[in-house]
Amino acid sequence: MSESTAPAPARTTSGSAAPVFSVRGLWKVFGPRAERVPGSEYAGLPPAELREATGCTAAVRDVSFDVAKGEVFVVMGLSGSGKSTLVRCLTRLVEPTSGTLTIDGEDVLAMDRGRLRELRRHRAAMVFQHFGLLPHRTVLDNVAYGLEIQGLGKAARRAKAAELVEKVGLAGLENRRPAQLSGGQQQRVGLARALAVDPSVLLFDEPFSALDPLIRREMQDEVVRLHREEGRTMVFITHDLSEALRLGTRIALMRDGGIVQLGTPEEIVGSPADDYVREFVRDVPREQVLTVATAMRPPTAGDGETGPALRPDATVSEAIEAVVRSQQPTARVMDDGRLLGVVDHACLLDVVAGTGAHGVSV
Amino acid sequence: MATAHAPASAAGPGTGGPLAALRGRPALGKLLLLLAVAAVAVPLVHARWGGGAWPGALTADLSAPLGEVNDWIVSNRDSHPLFVYFLGHVSNAVVLSVRGVYLALLALGWAGVTAVAALVAWRTAGVRLAVTAGACFVVCGLLGMWVPTMQTLALMVVAVLASVVLGILLGLAAGLSDRTFRFLRPVLDTMQVLPAFAYLLPVVLVFGIGVPGAVLATVVYAAPPMARLTALGLRGADAGVMEAVTSLGATGRQRLLTARLPLARKELLLGLNQTIMMALSMAVIASVIGAGGLGDRVYQALSSVDVGAALAAGIPIVLLAVVLDRTTEAAGRKAGTEPTGRAALRGARGWALAAVLAAAVAVVGRLGGGRVWPEGGVVPVAGPVNTAKDWMVDHLYTGIPVIGGTADWAAHFTSWILNPLRGGLQGLPWWSVLLIVAALAWTIGTWRTALTAVLAMAAIGVLGVWEPSMDTLSQVVAAVAVTLVLGFAVAVGAARSERLERGLRPVLDVFQTMPQFVYLIPVVALFGVGRAPAAAAAVVYALPAVVRITTQGLRGVDPAAMECARSLGATPGQQLRQVQLPLARPALLLAVNQGVVLVLAVVIIGGLVGSGALGYDVVFGLAQGDLATGLVAGAAIVCLGLMLDRVTQPTARRSRKES
Ligand SMILES: Nc1ncnc2c1ncn2[C@@H]1O[C@H](COP(=O)(O)OP(=O)(O)O)[C@@H](O)[C@H]1O
Ligand SMILES: [Mg+2]
Repeated sequence: MSESTAPAPARTTSGSAAPVFSVRGLWKVFGPRAERVPGSEYAGLPPAELREATGCTAAVRDVSFDVAKGEVFVVMGLSGSGKSTLVRCLTRLVEPTSGTLTIDGEDVLAMDRGRLRELRRHRAAMVFQHFGLLPHRTVLDNVAYGLEIQGLGKAARRAKAAELVEKVGLAGLENRRPAQLSGGQQQRVGLARALAVDPSVLLFDEPFSALDPLIRREMQDEVVRLHREEGRTMVFITHDLSEALRLGTRIALMRDGGIVQLGTPEEIVGSPADDYVREFVRDVPREQVLTVATAMRPPTAGDGETGPALRPDATVSEAIEAVVRSQQPTARVMDDGRLLGVVDHACLLDVVAGTGAHGVSV
Repeated sequence: MATAHAPASAAGPGTGGPLAALRGRPALGKLLLLLAVAAVAVPLVHARWGGGAWPGALTADLSAPLGEVNDWIVSNRDSHPLFVYFLGHVSNAVVLSVRGVYLALLALGWAGVTAVAALVAWRTAGVRLAVTAGACFVVCGLLGMWVPTMQTLALMVVAVLASVVLGILLGLAAGLSDRTFRFLRPVLDTMQVLPAFAYLLPVVLVFGIGVPGAVLATVVYAAPPMARLTALGLRGADAGVMEAVTSLGATGRQRLLTARLPLARKELLLGLNQTIMMALSMAVIASVIGAGGLGDRVYQALSSVDVGAALAAGIPIVLLAVVLDRTTEAAGRKAGTEPTGRAALRGARGWALAAVLAAAVAVVGRLGGGRVWPEGGVVPVAGPVNTAKDWMVDHLYTGIPVIGGTADWAAHFTSWILNPLRGGLQGLPWWSVLLIVAALAWTIGTWRTALTAVLAMAAIGVLGVWEPSMDTLSQVVAAVAVTLVLGFAVAVGAARSERLERGLRPVLDVFQTMPQFVYLIPVVALFGVGRAPAAAAAVVYALPAVVRITTQGLRGVDPAAMECARSLGATPGQQLRQVQLPLARPALLLAVNQGVVLVLAVVIIGGLVGSGALGYDVVFGLAQGDLATGLVAGAAIVCLGLMLDRVTQPTARRSRKES
């Protein structure tokens, strides 16, 4: 993995490179004769009516998205919205009902068993909410498990596993069993196990939901650090909005199996696609998510000379701090020495109060 | 009789409209429906076939065809390809392996065997059990039972190995395939409630009397728990772990070997424990069909009412049972936990040390002494025990002022309880017995269990053994009633007093591990032979399980509910009646079910000590080579076991097992 060591592009929406995962029109329907549902007259029914009519549950309905190389693609939604099913479809732990799905341009749904195993062994590794550790093995052997499955020799896999145990901060606990570890430590083992096989994509299914808030925060920092250091592509499932906003390069918001909005955190918070999303993001501290590029107004004559300079991706709360410090009425939004716009008190307060109509267009 | 009242009392007063009452109490509805069916069917049936015992017109005489089958097998045993190319090889293989293990045990010498037992116990369960294990074998030698102990052990080793292999294979099939599981599960569940005696005759029919038949009967009896627990363990594997393993790209084989099997380790070891205990139990009983060893010594001694000799052979059986149970149980407890103890002794190194020590002891023992326990080192116990027994016969059997003697009690139990009960059951019209069975099974369980129970009961009639079956049934009912009264009383006490429970626990542990056969020895000493001693043995055998299940049920009652009752000022009696007993109902029903199954097993074995009825028919069939009689009795035992299990099978047990 030579490219995985390259530093991550901070917030790319669409890389020029080919996407890692490309998902089009994906359906997963549970229930009797599930395959008749996609594309039929049932497809548009709300969940309760669909169950009434067919006895089926559409856990994932007509979902399309690309995951770009190096991004953290977050899927967020309430419990039961189909997130876990969606992420399991990516490696066919759950067999999709219909749609297309490719990884690095290769059709996943057409893969035979051997090829699929290769995919799971080398290209996508998953971290689970309930860890999924083998209770009868030591920490070291749990971390080495993926390599053992691949047929790596004992010495080699143990050496590699020891490295990763060190990396996730569990040095000294190699010979413990999972039952003797705290929840946070167990999830570090889960993370190390996934990292040990050096996958090109890491899949997380609500990995920190079972942890205490403080530990959760710590683990989120760990993921941010990992992403910054290695630039590994990640698909991250969560039901926690603040976690999504902290980690996500882009966020897909799911409801009843479908994606209701897909965009950067700023787009989700700044211009919710419908009332559902608006309700969802209502309590988010907007000034910490929205950037000055969204909040600024076009410069008028005389604006260009004074005031502190800000980069367009600075958050509104940073702008407020700068304006207050400099005691100037406005701040300038500069990109490569070019004046893009200015933010004054009114612009900034609009964001904080949530009154301005900031259509985000990136 | 106790059971006859149940339908009437269950149909207590209804409140509100009749339909509302029915909806609130489904049992009442079932009974009314049954009553309606009976009102139509009974007059017809009665007019056609009459009351009283099962009508002769409805029986099928199986003894002629069975006799023919027997004759055919006997005359073809040396010529038919099935025997020559398959069963003959099986039989030879069994004989050779038992012989091989036996010679190996002798080659190890008594010192070597004792050392191996002690060291294995040491590695799996610690120093205390090691001492117990060593002492157990020394006592076997001191009692002059070294050779029979080795014979039993050799048979056990072969039978347990075969049972484990068979059980794991069946368990794998049922654990990995839903269809096999659905098919196998009821079969295994049913096999576990059948009395051991029922397995003997079919095996004898095919293999004749001797070691191969004994081993195979043992395997058939002991393999089901292994299969059942293997299947349950494999199916119970944590779905999250299995998914994680799949997500890393494990193949089906890897999933099984690295995850599913290791995750089921506790169940596998529990299965091993149960299989070993059942194998011991059966290996002893199979002395009736030529297993030899300790069981044979007990059997011979009991036939001549030589209590001393029976005791000398019975003690090693009990010791063996305790050591085997504790060792395998400790292994199960330790599975999956962190290794403890000194680092130098962990894992392979500890076992290597044990092996070296055992080899050293064996070599020294063989150089110094012989292969079997020295003649001079035997402490004769039979004589003193028989003297004591004679004293008992003279002083305790009868004529003690006020309380009478043990023989008096037995006589009273027989004439006041067993006889009227038997008379009553045999006097009941046959169709009313079917109705009672249906009513009981349906109110406690489902229509399915009721149907099975009624069909099983009817099969007994068709087989033409209605009278002896009613005799056996009367003994079972009497013994179960005594067991439940005693068991519930002790359990209520144990649930209330921590001290009593702690004192009781080791006693129950030992009693629950002892093979059924052993219980016959003390009752014969105390009460002589007959139906009452058999019932007493059954009570003693079933009591521990009933006490344990009931105590656990009463203790497991939600503490919040108890606290609530206490805070409302309920007296201890009110707490027991209004909170504990209703909430512990599932446990109580399970205790009844277990009690019935266990009592039946021993009542049947009681045929060996003069309890007559079906058990005697089996023994008689075996002894006289009249397999037809024995087989019919065996089939009736199976039906009786099925019926009694289904009649007492609560719906809750089914649904809980399903989850
Ligand atoms: N194996 C299954 N069989 C039937 N329905 C399922 C299964 N797995 C998930 N579902 C249903 O699909 C929907 C989405 O579930 P899931 O993907 O687990 O949601 P989330 O992870 O967002 O909480 C739920 O309504 C759930 O009941
Ligand atoms: Mg989920």
